[in-house]
Amino acid sequence: MGFSFLAPVFLLGLAAIAIPIWIHLTHRERRDAVRFPSLMFLREVPFKTVRRQRIRHWLLFALRVAAVLLLVAAFARPLLERSDGSAAAFVQARELVVLLDRSHSMAYADNWDRAVEAARWALGNLGADDRATLVTFAEDAEAASQPSGDPAVLLAALDGVELGTETTRYGPALQLAREIIERSDRPRGEALLISDMQQVGWDPANASRLPGRTRLRLVDVGRGEAFNVAITGMNIARGRRGGREEIVVSAVLANFGGRPVADLSASLEIEGERVASREVDLDAGSTFAVTFEPHPLPGRPVRGIVRAGDDALPLDNSFQFVVAPEPPVRILIVEPRGAGADYALYLERALAISRRPAFEVQTERVTSLTESDLDDRSVVVLNDAPPPGGAVGARLREFVEEGGGLLVVLGRRAPPGGWPEDLIDLVPGDFGGPVDRAAEGGGTLGYLDYDHPALEIFNTPRSGDFSTARFYRYRRFQPAEDGRVLARFDDGAEAMVEGSYGEGRVLVLTSGTENFWNDLTIQPVFLPLIHQLVKHLSGYREATTWHRVGGVVDLSAKAELTAGVSSLDELELVIENPRGRERVLRPARDSWYLNLELPGFYHVRQVGDEDRAVWLAANLDPSESDLSRVDVQELAGALVAPEEADAGVAEARALSAEEQEGRQSLWWYLLAAACAILLIETVLSNRARRLAPGT
Amino acid sequence: MTVSSFLDPQVLARIDNLELLARTVVDGFINGLHRSPYLGLSVDFAEHRPYMPGDDIRKIDWRVFGRTDRYYVKQFEADTNANFLVVLDISRSMDFSSGGLSKLDYARYLAACLSYFSRQQRDRVGLATIAEDIVDYVPPSAKHLDIVLHAIDRIEPAAQGNLSVPLLKVAEAIKRRSIVAIISDLYDEPENVARSASVLENKGNDVIVFQVLDKAELEFPFDEPAQFEDLESGERIPVVPERQREAYRELIDGHIADLSHLLVERRIDYYLFDTSQPLDYALFSYLSRREKLSRVR
Repeated sequence: MGFSFLAPVFLLGLAAIAIPIWIHLTHRERRDAVRFPSLMFLREVPFKTVRRQRIRHWLLFALRVAAVLLLVAAFARPLLERSDGSAAAFVQARELVVLLDRSHSMAYADNWDRAVEAARWALGNLGADDRATLVTFAEDAEAASQPSGDPAVLLAALDGVELGTETTRYGPALQLAREIIERSDRPRGEALLISDMQQVGWDPANASRLPGRTRLRLVDVGRGEAFNVAITGMNIARGRRGGREEIVVSAVLANFGGRPVADLSASLEIEGERVASREVDLDAGSTFAVTFEPHPLPGRPVRGIVRAGDDALPLDNSFQFVVAPEPPVRILIVEPRGAGADYALYLERALAISRRPAFEVQTERVTSLTESDLDDRSVVVLNDAPPPGGAVGARLREFVEEGGGLLVVLGRRAPPGGWPEDLIDLVPGDFGGPVDRAAEGGGTLGYLDYDHPALEIFNTPRSGDFSTARFYRYRRFQPAEDGRVLARFDDGAEAMVEGSYGEGRVLVLTSGTENFWNDLTIQPVFLPLIHQLVKHLSGYREATTWHRVGGVVDLSAKAELTAGVSSLDELELVIENPRGRERVLRPARDSWYLNLELPGFYHVRQVGDEDRAVWLAANLDPSESDLSRVDVQELAGALVAPEEADAGVAEARALSAEEQEGRQSLWWYLLAAACAILLIETVLSNRARRLAPGT
Repeated sequence: MTVSSFLDPQVLARIDNLELLARTVVDGFINGLHRSPYLGLSVDFAEHRPYMPGDDIRKIDWRVFGRTDRYYVKQFEADTNANFLVVLDISRSMDFSSGGLSKLDYARYLAACLSYFSRQQRDRVGLATIAEDIVDYVPPSAKHLDIVLHAIDRIEPAAQGNLSVPLLKVAEAIKRRSIVAIISDLYDEPENVARSASVLENKGNDVIVFQVLDKAELEFPFDEPAQFEDLESGERIPVVPERQREAYRELIDGHIADLSHLLVERRIDYYLFDTSQPLDYALFSYLSRREKLSRVR
């Protein structure tokens, strides 16, 4: 049996022994004068000051030194190292794999400290021929150390482990443990799983059993009745009031505990200022969507935080987001010569409804179109109209080449002959005369390319019914080689074809939108279809207001960061993470992908230019907030043979509940002894002072 | 073991009534020492002597005449009716205690016990409290025990002490041969003390000097360096007890030795008490002296 100390740094406190030595060596002059009957004799004795003195009051001195020693020893947390009893199980050489859960949920209360202590004990008590590996895991697992029999190496590796922010997954950790044990030449294998046993990390379907003769020990550091309130999601709705954009923030609050929460305060902060708050009641195991009052959005990106709850897992009690103003998508609808006033009625009405993005529509006759009409446009719709000629046509070509979207609607007024030769190549194919299917009651759409981004949302059931639309007439269209057919009629003819021109996209609808050649315009699916096509052509992407921790952001795709540089090779970025640490990203050396490892706000800016910067918000995976616990018996039973599982679980409980505490409990006795000694010292000291003459 | 053996000064200090205190000490002391040869004064038989013309024939012991056919006269111990005066030093230096009784309290108890005991012997008792001068004086009288005890009871420490002047005045005030018990800490030069006591001795008084000191004054057990303040003058000097203790002890031991030598040389009895000693010792000292004077033929 020997000793070691869990907190040896406190041994520095031994220097405090100098205090009683100094006190007992120093003859401090009393503040009160000693009243004495007569100085008749003292006057005759020569007065001598003395610097070096001998120690006085040996008993008090010994008591004080002993008290200091015991206090220092108690704070250093002595650990009994036994080589008997339960340690007998370690006699046979084994390959030990310590699986240490470092997922975010381990931050609950003191779970992480207890887990590290358990790992420290296991790694510090290896047998003579044992070998151990420290594996840390969260969503993925990695070996924090090479297999080693040297506790010092393993404990040094343990000291370098930090708590993570990712979710729990046992599978990769157990798989890695299996590989290490299988490669080992030791006769026995042992996996020590130290975790809060979170249910969310356990997937029985992907569990692989550990090799034979492997003992599984589970150290459960979780709490029996964990209580946690978290913000698991958020939605930001945009609107306009008085010409100014405003947002309505809704957050989803979840109570993962077993008891209801009353008057839970939820608040919304914008740029650090609390702008709204709500009090909500949350039943046990329930969720609640809290919606805050609309808040006007300034003309720049702002950071916001929703906060709710105050519990032992604080990181999921806040939810960060960054919201930026969104300019409307400006659309120009070009009508053919001689078109009626309501020729583009259905298009205009459909585009007037959208909020996100908002569409700003302008309709012009092709004959009155000017070059400036194409300025600041995202999409031009040639609604059954031929393209303009001359300079305006050239401007249209330039517009598409530079990334603009062109929707070409081929109706009854758009004969092929109406297109000028120099612009016909904008269309991804050749189109011809109309196909009349009115006699057979019209055709239907027989094929839709649901893999296309614009049509993807219609893939799921009840997400848009195209089958009810009847197409009585449409134009023949022969797509070019690079043209992508997005939809076909039931006779195989092309209904929707997409091509690209320069940086822009061109999409062709082979039937009109004026409710004459088809009745698609009066079908419910028309509105979302037009929205999707226009959004696709404009290159609109819904701005991401927040990211998941563990996600990756391509910084080179952020226009705010790449503005003003001709080449990405010239770009240098400074990234400040939520903890305030900065690092510089250089093109020649680093990837442009930013891995979001921490919850909070990341600030990314160009080197030397504070204005070219973006804020990125990262939030934890809400699944990690659910602290429900897996049945350890079930877990052990799925991984090892029953006899190993039973023994393992029992031993694990003994380790955490009794041995671990028992071997560390010596400090209690030391502290009690120190208190007793200090009590005796107080009594003796007071008595000595009381008995001292002249007091 | 006698009762008086248990009369610790600390215990006596709890008795408020001075007469009761004195009686407790004296009665216990007498009971414990009833075989003492110093008792049986007054009418006790002492010895025979041959009859001489002029003797009272009633004192002839006829039994002795019957056996020896010679006249012998019985000799009896007679009542003494001596004066007993306590001279009590109540200077500020007496008001010192290192934890137990103060020297002044001890001296008060001692004076009360001696006075009470003397009254039991039918002596006339008196009291003189002195400091720089005589503070209070109760002339010896057979009826003054109560006054003496009352005077002792209301003693308050006075200012500085000085034995010479008040003792000279006491010597002038005493008209009859007396037993004079001087109780003081004797913080004066031994020659001065001896000279002052000699004034009383030279006038035919039987003088006993009780020096009362605290144990701390004898052993100087202080530890911490401090300013020491003189109780009488208020003067302060720095003292490092650890370094000055031995020299102090030598000086006070020399002082005591000089006092003892000079007083005994002048046939003055000298006794030293520290305040932790029982009062019995003082009574022993007194009685041994009283016995010498009481044998009056």
